Amino acid sequence: MPSRIPRVIRTNAIVLRHRRLGEADRIVTLLTPLRGKIDVIAKGVLRSKSRMGGHLEPLTLVEVVLAHGRSMDVVTQAQTIDAFPAAHEDLDRLSAAMYLLELADRITVEHAEAEGLHDLLHAALVRLARGDGQQVVQRTFELALLDATGFRPELTDCLRCSNPVPAEEAWWAPVEGGVLCASCARAYTDAQPIDATALRVLRAFQSQTYEEAGRIRLTDELAARMESAMHALMRSVVERDLKSAQFVSAARRARVAGEAREDAGADNAASESDTLDDLAE
Amino acid sequence: MNEGRDPFIPGASSPIARLVEAFHRLPGIGPKSAQRLAYHILRSPEAEAQELADALIEVKRSIVFCAQCQNLTSRTPCEICTDSSRDRHSICVVEEPLDVLAIERTGGWSGLYHVLHGVISPSDGVGPEDLKIGELLARLRDLETEVTEIIVATNPNLEGEATAMYLSRLLRPLGIKVTRLARGLPAGADLEYADDVTLGRALEFRQEVL
Ligand SMILES: [Zn+2]
Repeated sequence: MPSRIPRVIRTNAIVLRHRRLGEADRIVTLLTPLRGKIDVIAKGVLRSKSRMGGHLEPLTLVEVVLAHGRSMDVVTQAQTIDAFPAAHEDLDRLSAAMYLLELADRITVEHAEAEGLHDLLHAALVRLARGDGQQVVQRTFELALLDATGFRPELTDCLRCSNPVPAEEAWWAPVEGGVLCASCARAYTDAQPIDATALRVLRAFQSQTYEEAGRIRLTDELAARMESAMHALMRSVVERDLKSAQFVSAARRARVAGEAREDAGADNAASESDTLDDLAE
Repeated sequence: MNEGRDPFIPGASSPIARLVEAFHRLPGIGPKSAQRLAYHILRSPEAEAQELADALIEVKRSIVFCAQCQNLTSRTPCEICTDSSRDRHSICVVEEPLDVLAIERTGGWSGLYHVLHGVISPSDGVGPEDLKIGELLARLRDLETEVTEIIVATNPNLEGEATAMYLSRLLRPLGIKVTRLARGLPAGADLEYADDVTLGRALEFRQEVL
């Protein structure tokens, strides 16, 4: 039905990623409000004289004009609406933003309806850029994304016997998508005990509004435990490793190691160089 | 149109299909260009094809990574690393060997280099552990190092920025100043395409990474 497709459309979109096409062109992956995730061609953007290039970088909300093409639409105009500059000021925020982009990208199928996903991602990027807690932004985005795509994790009742699971006795089963009671957990090889506080906070994140969730105070250590549980869950949903999730963790470890070094002073240089070795591996 | 079926490729495992496939894997070569190249080889004299094949094998056998800067070289340490006239207090960190050529061309840099062979790019499956970052740390931890400044000359885009900030996080605790090329390079552009004057100025007016 090619005749029913308009030749030119104008839409907002979040740039998820791009890859090189030939000498100077790029295929840009966009998340749009109405058409979901689409790949489009941006011509000549690798040349330094290109005016469009800077507007089509990942982590940018753009308004684009797309001309209908045979295999892929072609970008004819691009104008930045929000480049989230504050998200670029700190590596924890920047790596978190990269993680949100990769999640949105991996969980959507091309052209499949991803209703509300554009708005979810946009809201999360705005929150990240204005300095909201990175944990609450990332975890609530994951949970909302799972809801929207039909993968809502079960955090209160055992996935096998359906009995309510007390947080202190809960096991975490990423492949099954939620919690198991201690006796059922024996039947699952991927299940691991989960920290009770981490689970309670995740339950609160799932059941409360974003504003309520944002009032919960988290230590670095608790944040790391929630992060590791949710990363495992997301990995099993998208059925692949998420490099950006590993980068979020690596960036935090580098910060913590740097802070520890500042505290310890210079007399302990040898053992801390070892820490740096670990980080680079 | 007869899409999905190529009249020029008789079977997926035929020698010509394998050659097309091999060209298609090269960066910037689409399926049409791959076919053109393959049929060019097919039509050219055998001696020419042999020359190409020999050159491919020779480059793989004779070019190595410089043990210090990780640039591609025919001897290690490379010419730049062993050049006694170069300033040994600062290292310019770049993504690719081609970037070393681009910066050398400006004539505005007399320090050393370190080639990462990529940039942190999760969407392409590349994390810090896939780059030559461990080698950079080893260079800086060497007791004889005189390095006091690292200039991260990654491309002005999300991945380049993330890489620069990550390096800064790793290196600042070592007491090393980490700077980044000054703005002026258009966002999203590639160093490879920057003109010498712009690149030279970006180097000269570099800024500290937070
Ligand atoms: Zn060298």
